Amino acid sequence: MKSSSIKRGLLIGIGNDARGDDGLGWAFLKKLEGSTNHYDIVWRYQLQVEDAELISRYPEVVFVDACQTAVPNGFALEKCKAVLGFDFSTHAVEPTSILALCQELYQAYPLSYIFKIQGYHWDLGKTLSTAARKNLENALDFWHQRSQKVTAPL
Amino acid sequence: MSKKIVIDPVTRVEGHGKVTIHLGEDNNVQDAFFHIVEFRGFERFIQGHPYWEAPILVQRLCGICPVSHHLAAAKAIDQLVGIDPEQLPNTATQIRRLLHYGQVFQSHALHFFYLASPDLLFGLEAPAEQRNVVAVAQANKELAKKGILMRKFGQEVIQAIAGKRIHGISAVPGGVHKSLKPEEVQHFLEDDQTPSIYTMIDWALEVLNFIKDYHRKNAQWLESFANYPSGHLGLVGANGELELYHGNLRAKDANGQITLNDIPTNDYIHNFNEGVEKWSYMKFPYLKDLGQNRGWNRVGPLARVNVCNYISTPLAERERQIFMEKTEGRPNNATMFYHWARLIELLHCAELMKDLLHDPAIQGTELRKEGERRPEGIGIIEAPRGTLIHHYIADEKGMITKCNLIVSTTHNNEAMNRAVRWVAQNVIDKQPDITETLLNQVEIAIRAYDPCLSCATHAIGKMPLHLSIYDNNGKLINEKFKH
Repeated sequence: MKSSSIKRGLLIGIGNDARGDDGLGWAFLKKLEGSTNHYDIVWRYQLQVEDAELISRYPEVVFVDACQTAVPNGFALEKCKAVLGFDFSTHAVEPTSILALCQELYQAYPLSYIFKIQGYHWDLGKTLSTAARKNLENALDFWHQRSQKVTAPL
Repeated sequence: MSKKIVIDPVTRVEGHGKVTIHLGEDNNVQDAFFHIVEFRGFERFIQGHPYWEAPILVQRLCGICPVSHHLAAAKAIDQLVGIDPEQLPNTATQIRRLLHYGQVFQSHALHFFYLASPDLLFGLEAPAEQRNVVAVAQANKELAKKGILMRKFGQEVIQAIAGKRIHGISAVPGGVHKSLKPEEVQHFLEDDQTPSIYTMIDWALEVLNFIKDYHRKNAQWLESFANYPSGHLGLVGANGELELYHGNLRAKDANGQITLNDIPTNDYIHNFNEGVEKWSYMKFPYLKDLGQNRGWNRVGPLARVNVCNYISTPLAERERQIFMEKTEGRPNNATMFYHWARLIELLHCAELMKDLLHDPAIQGTELRKEGERRPEGIGIIEAPRGTLIHHYIADEKGMITKCNLIVSTTHNNEAMNRAVRWVAQNVIDKQPDITETLLNQVEIAIRAYDPCLSCATHAIGKMPLHLSIYDNNGKLINEKFKH
């Protein structure tokens, strides 16, 4: 349980693998689990305020989540900007709010990204849709290429 | 011309609910309701599944208190495999208790710091954009940081035992699947990245000092706001002590007279009925002997502190005595005292966790027992929000044929409706203008109960909350939504 040395980054998979394509964030992490030495991995149904403390300990953070809106090639890696959102509930806190809280409370400024993977079906069920699986593959290819190019903290 | 107010959604509560207030001429309040409008389906959904799946499936009722559902179901399933609570291996009992106290601790911290503290720190007239945890973080960094780490401590206890912070698995029929390793225990005893259990106790005492000071400064409002008589229900131990994991059911009326006298949990079915109303999916439980009008009870921290004789841990007991002095030992019926009672329990759980972390049993190896299969099992625990009942019947193949769940928020259904009515009649009635400040007080009254509406309706999916005001011609004149 003792803390190990801090890695380059943290991957946070957000979603629910019992709700169809909402499991894309987790599926992405499952594919990387065991093969990514530079990133710690955590799984979330939804972000919580205490995640502000968690991300404060990393130089880089990537929030991986399914998205409903269309994105080119079915995925998009976007910079996450800190926004102190006031539309807060314990069921959902936006990555932008988590980052803002991290900066506000801990004076930590991790380089943060939101990695969106497009999904299509959100009903109960453990299976990703065919189109979502394709987007997942594209997102993983992109991630592997990016990892080869980037060897040090961004 | 009469009017109707609808608050939909009510904010900073778990789940989707709606408030409607009907106004008459001159804005006098005619009636008020707290509706739960989500479909109730989990009791049917679980039928046909094998009994051993129940403790896992029912966790999906809620992302905030899955451990409570997991443990209540596990206690019921123990009986299906022939094991009563007293027969469970000591290691299994103590591991489950530690898990439960970690859950109550994190849930109470979540509610106080994230949901309730904006009401207390910024007051009734604070603008909506200030009434949230982000504003708390900006205004009081140290309070916010402590809240975060207290919640994290409870979550880490859950993770150490159940493998995950949410929807982990610890209990199995007749026991638990693992105990703790020495290094896992040590993590909670030392101040490292997460502060130790000793720090948790210190911080719980600090927060109690905050709430006592707040009560001194705001006594009149706190003692009068949504103060109305009710019954109080909770588990107590063999000597009448506050009990969260396993005990007997006790209820008292508003004056402290016993209305349910320490009955074994398996007898609940003989003592409770559930009423229904056409305007809500949530049922209205009550004591059979007293009937629906007189037999309803508050549950949760306030009720538990009201019904017990004492608290078994010394620091929390000292705080209970200070709390009870306010009403000279009689039950406290003021809704806003839920917050204070919740913090007494926060301290109690920290003390209990400290004791368990020093108990060798939590590192034991006897994890599970099994006896003769039975057709029926009932598991009752005190979840963070109150008395939680899981009742299952399984056929000879082990498939669940009947499931009845009475969750904490359902017990509080009538109490929350009375709270809404109290605010409508005492705060909103005859006001020339229905302001944001007035409507916020409806939410403050509901929020004190820390309702979990997803649990209460056993609903699946996204659940926002809604308030509307209608005139006496049925015309909608004011509305609020939050998602």
